[in-house]
Amino acid sequence: LPGLDPLSAVWVGIICLVFSSRLSTMKAASICPNDQTGCHLLPLANLFDRVIQHSARMHGISDDLHSEFELYFLPSKNQIGRVSRNCHTSTILTPNGKENAQRIAREELAEIILKLLVAWRDPLWHFHQSMSQHDEFTNFSSNKSLEMSDMVHELRKGVLKVVEKMQMLGIISNSVGDTGSPEALLTSDSAEWRFMKDYDLLYCFRRDSNKIQNYLKILKCRIVPKHGC
Amino acid sequence: MHLCTEAHLNYLYIDLYVHIKVRKHITQFNSCEETCLVGPEFCLRGKPSVSCSIEVPYIKSVMAVSLSYDLLLLLVISSLDWSSTPGSAFLTDHNRMTSSGRSEKKQQKRERATPVEPHFTECMSRDLETFRCWWSPGTFHNLSSPEELRVFYLKRNSPSSEWKECPEYSHLNRECFFDANHTSIWIPYCLQLRGQNNITYFNEDDCFSVENIVRPDPPVSLNWTLLIVSPSGLSYDVMVSWEPPPSADVSTGWMRIEYEIQYRERNATTWEALETQPHTQQTIYGLQAGTEYEVHIRTKMKGFPKFGDFSDSIFVKVTEIPLRESAVLLTLVLTFGVAGILILIMLIVVSHQQRLMMILLPPVPAPKIKGIDSELLKKGKLEELDFILNGGGLGGLPTYISDYYQDEPWVEFIEVDEEDADCGEKEDQKSSDTQRLLGLPQRSVGCFSADSHPDDDSGRASCYDTDLSEQDTHLLAASLLPGQPEDEEAFLHPDEKAPASETNKSPLIQTESEGKPTWINTDLYAQVSNVMPSGGVVLSPGQQLRIQENTEKESQKKGTLGEDTSKLNKPQFQLLVVDPDGSGYTSEITARQISTPPSSLVPGEGYQTIYPQPMETKPAAPSEPNQSPYILPDSPQTRLFAPVADYTVVQELDTHQSLLLNLPTQQPPPPCLPQHPLKAPVAIGYVTPDLLGNLSS
Repeated sequence: LPGLDPLSAVWVGIICLVFSSRLSTMKAASICPNDQTGCHLLPLANLFDRVIQHSARMHGISDDLHSEFELYFLPSKNQIGRVSRNCHTSTILTPNGKENAQRIAREELAEIILKLLVAWRDPLWHFHQSMSQHDEFTNFSSNKSLEMSDMVHELRKGVLKVVEKMQMLGIISNSVGDTGSPEALLTSDSAEWRFMKDYDLLYCFRRDSNKIQNYLKILKCRIVPKHGC
Repeated sequence: MHLCTEAHLNYLYIDLYVHIKVRKHITQFNSCEETCLVGPEFCLRGKPSVSCSIEVPYIKSVMAVSLSYDLLLLLVISSLDWSSTPGSAFLTDHNRMTSSGRSEKKQQKRERATPVEPHFTECMSRDLETFRCWWSPGTFHNLSSPEELRVFYLKRNSPSSEWKECPEYSHLNRECFFDANHTSIWIPYCLQLRGQNNITYFNEDDCFSVENIVRPDPPVSLNWTLLIVSPSGLSYDVMVSWEPPPSADVSTGWMRIEYEIQYRERNATTWEALETQPHTQQTIYGLQAGTEYEVHIRTKMKGFPKFGDFSDSIFVKVTEIPLRESAVLLTLVLTFGVAGILILIMLIVVSHQQRLMMILLPPVPAPKIKGIDSELLKKGKLEELDFILNGGGLGGLPTYISDYYQDEPWVEFIEVDEEDADCGEKEDQKSSDTQRLLGLPQRSVGCFSADSHPDDDSGRASCYDTDLSEQDTHLLAASLLPGQPEDEEAFLHPDEKAPASETNKSPLIQTESEGKPTWINTDLYAQVSNVMPSGGVVLSPGQQLRIQENTEKESQKKGTLGEDTSKLNKPQFQLLVVDPDGSGYTSEITARQISTPPSSLVPGEGYQTIYPQPMETKPAAPSEPNQSPYILPDSPQTRLFAPVADYTVVQELDTHQSLLLNLPTQQPPPPCLPQHPLKAPVAIGYVTPDLLGNLSS
């Protein structure tokens, strides 16, 4: 630097060294200095809370969109009855009750969550595309569909982080592989969601987002029960 | 809206945006929400809050119909095949509608309006693990026993599912209970009633998912604590806390519940509702002391619309504390008093703003000089200031000239002040003010030390300083006084009197009469004797002498700019014409041309104001560009023997106390000039500085 005389350069260097050393020490220092039993789970609980909040918001958006959809399109009454056949995630075996969800292994539960999230990534994106082409939909709806599709993405990343953390802490085994390849999961169902109508898609997603939210909460309360269950 | 062309679609979805009243065998209705009474739940949506639908079989398109199409709609409606049974679409309406309160109304209306068949009234789950459904037998079937109706359900979790019978009946309540083993969440259930002879009453609307029909139990163990009472004792805040319903499994996270508190005064009819929130305690603010309040709470699943029942009410009451009122009053009085005083002070301050500002921030005295804009005293305007001070305008100040001509020592200024008195020891009282003013050489020779005049600017020379500047000033003074006829003397010092050393500074004045200085008549009034055709004015015959003298001097003056003044010139008379159109003042140049010895010629007594008078023209001198064209008359011809002037000026008082009207012209100029520097012409402003400048140049 032209205006930097050696003395000030030395000062700057010293300050930088001090800060970097402080930063490195900060990394090493954990939140739990005394290494209490439950203390090291606190960041995991925080992670869980954030992920659950995220999933709750996702469910809320999907609910809003679903009811808004009903304003524009009047579905037939037996739509509910028929939808279950058409949800492309029906093939994913999910626990349908509380006992089932509690009995299932943690790894499996985590894996189911991830499967669900992966399965909805593409359909939501296409849904958003088709929504934005319809003029009847307000910008509000279009923004919501985009938000929804983004949230699925974010939530998946969050859940992966939680799984990593759990694996790091030794809570679950490393059997929960990276389920990032949707093609491997949805070989048979890959094309089915394209034939779903928009309304069915929304209905299915609303249901699945509720599932995800529930499973996450159950998982959290199984793993870190003392932190807000 | 899009065209659904899938083959499996066999229903018409009509989306109507317009309020329509349809009569005929369809029940009249005003809005979709109120009356979805018709058997096949036919309803036209008027307002976009509730959706209903109609079904027309075998039509495969979705249409949006506007008001103009109501006739078409009527046709379509009339052709409808009311295939669906008028069962209760209760469950699905529950699902879709945002407010659950309407469902009961609808049910009642349905029952009242038309004869209904057995249908389900409600299905509800309390804990997301079990659920139960209630049915009613309807009106037109004469059932012998309640057991005749059987409930069948279908779980649509696989394509090959079958209708199963209700796992647990409670005929007393006409309720079918599904326990945890038979309950699956997120899976659609469809229910139907079957009567005898396999009559099936099925409404396809009676399909639902369990999570959508959850209505949690109300919380338990409500209690309240007083949080804080306001200082006035009139209102208080209360913290209400409770326990989550035992049936809802919150601890495992299976259910996420939100609570809504409602409260009202004991005898009021409407409830106040606070926002739903998931915590098990909440504060109610702003309750009035002395009033009893009723509080109850209800719950709902987070993310789902249905509320459960209300809990039992609790009663909150806080008695007033009257003792605090006096303190409150006192504080109120103090507050208002202080506020009033402050307002008063503000008013006073505002009304007397100017005076207060004067007191607080007194104005800084700025330099004020008459006639000068204080703006000029700012930086950078020195030149203009100088200009003004030095006579740029006619309103110049008395002292400006000294500054302006500081480097021109030949300029001397008249200074009339009391200090001259001390100089006047030798002066007799005969020296008039005019003489003093003009600095004319007194008869008495003494008293001419420069020390007697402390003013430095005057540039006074010593008594024996025969600086030509003195001559100039004398000239100046002399020129301003219109000369007496016949009594002029060259006012100028004879040139030989000026030592050569001094003459450098005053290049101009060549006025030197050769031993015959003539006084300039210091007459202030003169009579115009004749007007020259060229415009000049002959004042009086006496002036012509002077004119002659000055003529030569004038020409000399013109030609010898900067030359040594040791040249002697023939004294010439010059006619000075003071251009009346110009400044009207005789220029100093011309004044100087008029050579008058600084003799004891004393003008008349009294201070004669010098005013512009047309004087003789200067002959043949190159005229000044602007003023005072000098026309030198031909000397002899213009000599006019003017008649005696009508008035004259007393020049001097003789020793014999006789008036001397015309001083002898032969009087030698005294060797010494009075030290009164002439300042008058410039000071009074009769001479313009450009003429001065011409002089100096």
